[in-house]
Amino acid sequence: MGFWEPLFFWMFALGALITSLTVIVVRNPLYSALALIVDFFFFAGLYVLLSAHFLAIVQVLVYGGAIMVLFLFIIMLLNLRDEELGENRFQLHFVAAIASGLAIFFFAGASILAVVSDEGVEQGRQEYARQMEQVEEGEKVALLTGSQIPGLAADLNETGLEAAYQAQLTAWEAGLGNPAQGKYNRFDNSVPFELPPALSAEAREGQVTPGRQGLYGTFKPISIALVNRFVVPFELTAILLLAAIIGAMIIAKRRVA
Amino acid sequence: MSWEPTLAHYLILSAAIFSIGMIGVMVRRNAIILFMSIELMLNAVNLTFIAFSRYRIDMDGHIFAFFVMAVAAAEAAVALAIVLHVFRHKRSVNVDEMQQLQY
Repeated sequence: MGFWEPLFFWMFALGALITSLTVIVVRNPLYSALALIVDFFFFAGLYVLLSAHFLAIVQVLVYGGAIMVLFLFIIMLLNLRDEELGENRFQLHFVAAIASGLAIFFFAGASILAVVSDEGVEQGRQEYARQMEQVEEGEKVALLTGSQIPGLAADLNETGLEAAYQAQLTAWEAGLGNPAQGKYNRFDNSVPFELPPALSAEAREGQVTPGRQGLYGTFKPISIALVNRFVVPFELTAILLLAAIIGAMIIAKRRVA
Repeated sequence: MSWEPTLAHYLILSAAIFSIGMIGVMVRRNAIILFMSIELMLNAVNLTFIAFSRYRIDMDGHIFAFFVMAVAAAEAAVALAIVLHVFRHKRSVNVDEMQQLQY
């Protein structure tokens, strides 16, 4: 894993925490919005560390670009004067809110720590290294799903991640296994849904080359999934966005003619 | 906890930012900052999706995070239009003064 990746993780994590606090603490919404933009960039950095390259770009484009421009535009348009901002006096419900926020955080943190222990992570690393050796020796390992690993596979380097991802896809396309424990069981198990069903199993196996489904976290696997398994939610999103456009226009218009 | 980031690090970071967003929603009265806090919470959830995706070495979490982003964009557009409309009527974006919505 090296020296730089943890360093970047801590930088991005601390940055994200500090800018998130800034968003809710400062009085002027303009400064909130600017802090939130910086926060989204830190999130994009974290996504890159998690090998979600495509989502990191989308985060910057959609959140940092589109959504925050919308927020800033509204803030500038309203041009709130000081008295309209209202005073930020201390109130009793602050205590209740902060206490319940801390309670949620400690509850979530404690349950995460209870499940993921340091020994579990160490055990997972060893198990993962063992499986990777088998892959390098050319064995057809049934599966390298992280769910079988008690710790975390997130400390794989980029090459290890890619090898594991491609090994899963290869095993799956060759009909050898069910990479994610029944996740793809919706149709015939032996026919990968994301491949043209007309191809025979042998023809498919001949076609399988590493990288055929694209690299982990990049545009290709996401787009393949979006127009295959997730095509209905994808189309519904289009309707949702259309409804949002029309709704926003009608609500914001001064008078509907 | 180790120095090197693991799944737990990402989950706890995400829980912390979600809590910050939740406190923001409960404490702040400015409608615009309230929506920004909601964006913070959505982002924290996205981080969890992507961390688990990385952990399981599959990409379904990425797709879900993608849908969350689309919904967040739609929500922001409609919410800000409502804020704009309310501001025209009341000259205020304080959610405590938006009580006519309940009638």
